[in-house]
Amino acid sequence: MQLLNKLEGDQTMIGASDKSRLTMTEFAKESRIRADSYHRYHIDTIETPDRQSLPNRFLVSVGKFGLAKLLVSEIFEYWGKWDVVFARPCTYGVFSGPVGGFSPRPEKCVGCLRCTIEHPGFVTITPNPALETLGDSYLNSKIISTIDEEARKGTVPVRGQGYRGRFGGPGWDEMFTDMSEIVRPSRDGIHGRELISTIVDIGSKPMRLQFDSEGSLVSAGPKMMSIQVPFVFDSPAGSVMSPRLAKIWKTAAEQVDTLALISADIVASNNLESPSVVPIFSLDSFESANSFKNGTRMVQLDGWGASEYESMTSSNPDLMISVRMSFEEGWQDQLSEMVDAGVSVIHFVANNHGEADGGRFIMDIIIEAHEMLLKAGVRDKVTLLHSGGVVAADHLPKAIICGLDAVGLDLPLLIAIQARLSGDTSSRERYTAKLPKKFDDKWACQRIVNLTGSWRDQMLEILGAMGIREVRRLRGEMGRAMWCSHLEEEAFSEIEGFTGGGI
Amino acid sequence: MAKSKLPVFPSETLIHKITHLMHDGMDARTSGEFEIPPALGDARWTDELILSTWHMAATGTLPDNLNYKTGESNGGFDRLDFKLLDEEQWLKHSEDIKTSIPLNRRGDHRKKLSPAIPIYGGGMSYGSVSVNVMMSRAIHAKNWNTYMSTGEGGYPEELYDCRDHVITQVATGLFGVEEKSIQAAPIVEFKYAQGAKPGLGGHLLASKAGEEVAKMRGSVPFVSLFSPFPFHSTYSVEDHSKHIDWVQTINPDALISVKVSTPHDVDMVAVGSYYAGAHIIHLDGGFGGTGAAPEIAKKNIAMPIELAVPKVHKFLIKEGIRENVTLIASGGIRTADDIAKAIALGADGVVLGTSDLVAMGCTRCSNCEGGPSGRGCPWGLTTTDIELQEWVQQEWAVKRLDNYYTALQWRLRDILRKLGLSDVKELVGRTDLLVYTRSDLK
Repeated sequence: MQLLNKLEGDQTMIGASDKSRLTMTEFAKESRIRADSYHRYHIDTIETPDRQSLPNRFLVSVGKFGLAKLLVSEIFEYWGKWDVVFARPCTYGVFSGPVGGFSPRPEKCVGCLRCTIEHPGFVTITPNPALETLGDSYLNSKIISTIDEEARKGTVPVRGQGYRGRFGGPGWDEMFTDMSEIVRPSRDGIHGRELISTIVDIGSKPMRLQFDSEGSLVSAGPKMMSIQVPFVFDSPAGSVMSPRLAKIWKTAAEQVDTLALISADIVASNNLESPSVVPIFSLDSFESANSFKNGTRMVQLDGWGASEYESMTSSNPDLMISVRMSFEEGWQDQLSEMVDAGVSVIHFVANNHGEADGGRFIMDIIIEAHEMLLKAGVRDKVTLLHSGGVVAADHLPKAIICGLDAVGLDLPLLIAIQARLSGDTSSRERYTAKLPKKFDDKWACQRIVNLTGSWRDQMLEILGAMGIREVRRLRGEMGRAMWCSHLEEEAFSEIEGFTGGGI
Repeated sequence: MAKSKLPVFPSETLIHKITHLMHDGMDARTSGEFEIPPALGDARWTDELILSTWHMAATGTLPDNLNYKTGESNGGFDRLDFKLLDEEQWLKHSEDIKTSIPLNRRGDHRKKLSPAIPIYGGGMSYGSVSVNVMMSRAIHAKNWNTYMSTGEGGYPEELYDCRDHVITQVATGLFGVEEKSIQAAPIVEFKYAQGAKPGLGGHLLASKAGEEVAKMRGSVPFVSLFSPFPFHSTYSVEDHSKHIDWVQTINPDALISVKVSTPHDVDMVAVGSYYAGAHIIHLDGGFGGTGAAPEIAKKNIAMPIELAVPKVHKFLIKEGIRENVTLIASGGIRTADDIAKAIALGADGVVLGTSDLVAMGCTRCSNCEGGPSGRGCPWGLTTTDIELQEWVQQEWAVKRLDNYYTALQWRLRDILRKLGLSDVKELVGRTDLLVYTRSDLK
């Protein structure tokens, strides 16, 4: 009955303005209003068909003579039993067109291979080389196909049978995430009965509060904002980003309640200012940040310049100012300098294969950065973002385990709207993207929203298995990760010939 | 769902035609009469592993020209090999080489079960597979004096004919769990988690939860069924012990198996399970099979079985209880060589699931959950579609499984004799008989 008393004096509550206590009827009404006004965060996904479909997974080749011969022989053998004669070896409709196997429909083939096993003499199913050559060694055709499905359906990809790939690494594959066998705080979170939060805080929290002798707070409080998902939309290569894409990024970010990082020029010239948009300024154009105050919560400086940052913060005291920095040789010193200067949001960048600092993979670098800040006792004063090398749903929780607060997505968003990438796709700037010939902004926006819905749900699967109720608690939780090479060392070190785990 | 008309029970003629085409086609592919299908296989189950399994299932012998030993995953079992003795030291190939293992090592009054081979069948529920597949596995288990698990989907009436060889699984959703099926079981298996989807519970998509399946599970037809994770009454080893007490009150003779996946603390879980009363600790690794699982869960959550087995084996030794409990490994075990390697790493025996399905014709196309047709497996394995399930005829499937296990046992004995061992129990934990190979040496 605490609510009855708690509502006393609350002038905004119906029935509470002229009474010290609510009647049971009023209490019930209040409770109903409160319950109805509760909004549980959810990403609305809608199946959104392709505009530029990927090549079929398989090629289907049927020998016409062999098929005709089979038909003739079966007509005689099963005369009158037409269900038997015309029974096709495909439940997916590859041979269900008007002329059956004489004109197969490879787009329906899922590779069950029943047809080619039953009729080895004249049916051949081959993997489609046009699909296999999509992408590159990192963002490969398998990942592209998966993103395409996630963006189309907005659901978690579910399949039968087990894992089909390599044993362990390289890259993110080196990490297994942990799970809890019986003891866990979130019972059934992933199936909707309890909430697992994916909210992350962007900004700075004080490491401690300070009070004067009177007990009054004298230190500054937290300066931060929250977004509902542990990822932001980062700007693709300059040659690829356009006002139209920027608008799509912005609309999708607003819908998902995250941030879209877009060049300040594009934001200004297209009136894209929004609380969900983060304009990016070069070091020589930061002075125009003043003009972005309307609704803008955060801006980003593209590179580190102590004087520019100081100038920007002093002239924009209400704006959160993040700084983007590359993981190049000597990044540790730059990171320390930025933290000392009070930068509260640091956005690391690596190439699209997740390589930086002389070819190191970002997993190790992020861990090093996170641990540097922990050791300095300032981890909560800084938000760490990172872009480059996060291209699949499983990379997201793994990157957070390594120490990130949130991840920047760019290439996955382009793949979601069915862009075909070419050029040097390992570089953040030297690739091109061919978008579908015809598409509308609403379609593109929904594809991106679907992708984020799918990735968030997959994040919930990982968190649910671990028994972690919020993604903020996953940050730097390396005790929840297992490294394949370490486990191999533990398991195989006594075995002759073992010289160390990993690839 | 496809636009095609609703499936109907197929005529005898149609069943005859389809099954013959399938069987003849499999034989033609394995005999070398036709080339290996270019779209068959993946890194874990290569085209040659699938075809060699078909060959073994058809003939009961090992193939001459196919790699029946390893896949190409570049790690784990695929990088381990045996340190075989010189040929003059090999034992003679003989049925005297023992392959039986005891399952009850606690020395209590419960059943003393000893399957003839260190293998039994993993849980595949009614709903994820058809009664035909379940019955084929159960009859095969009976023929081989071993066991198969019901999975979590109930205990179809037909299975009672093989009750002495059917393990009743009690999983987190308690679907289809009845006193009658617990009383019938020689072994009751508590499934805490599954390797392919650790910590995520079970999942049967709506399209496969038909009338009979739903009835068995006490549910509504064509509604997706989630078996929640974890057991809602288990927060500790003490709660787990209470579970076991409950089952043992219903069936005092049954052995208790505890199936868990492979998290970081799997060694502690194993010890806790033992002290709660388990006879069998069943570890299910991250590469295990599934009727339906989120792709992100496969491989990314929990560790592969090759890494979990030695961890648990060593910890049980350290705790002084290794001799009192049976350690069973599953989740990605494909071949007789994998079985021997798992045992050398510390397991007593293994559980097979996917291999059984491959022996019965599975091509690992991954459409078990329903696929675009919504009807499930086109080979009739992981489906309850009234037409498709008829493509697996029990007599044929039992013969395939019997042949396959004959070949597995032959190869297992072959490995043992070449290591100078006359009993599979002597291989347990013998990592000194293994050698780790780099991929460039293979």
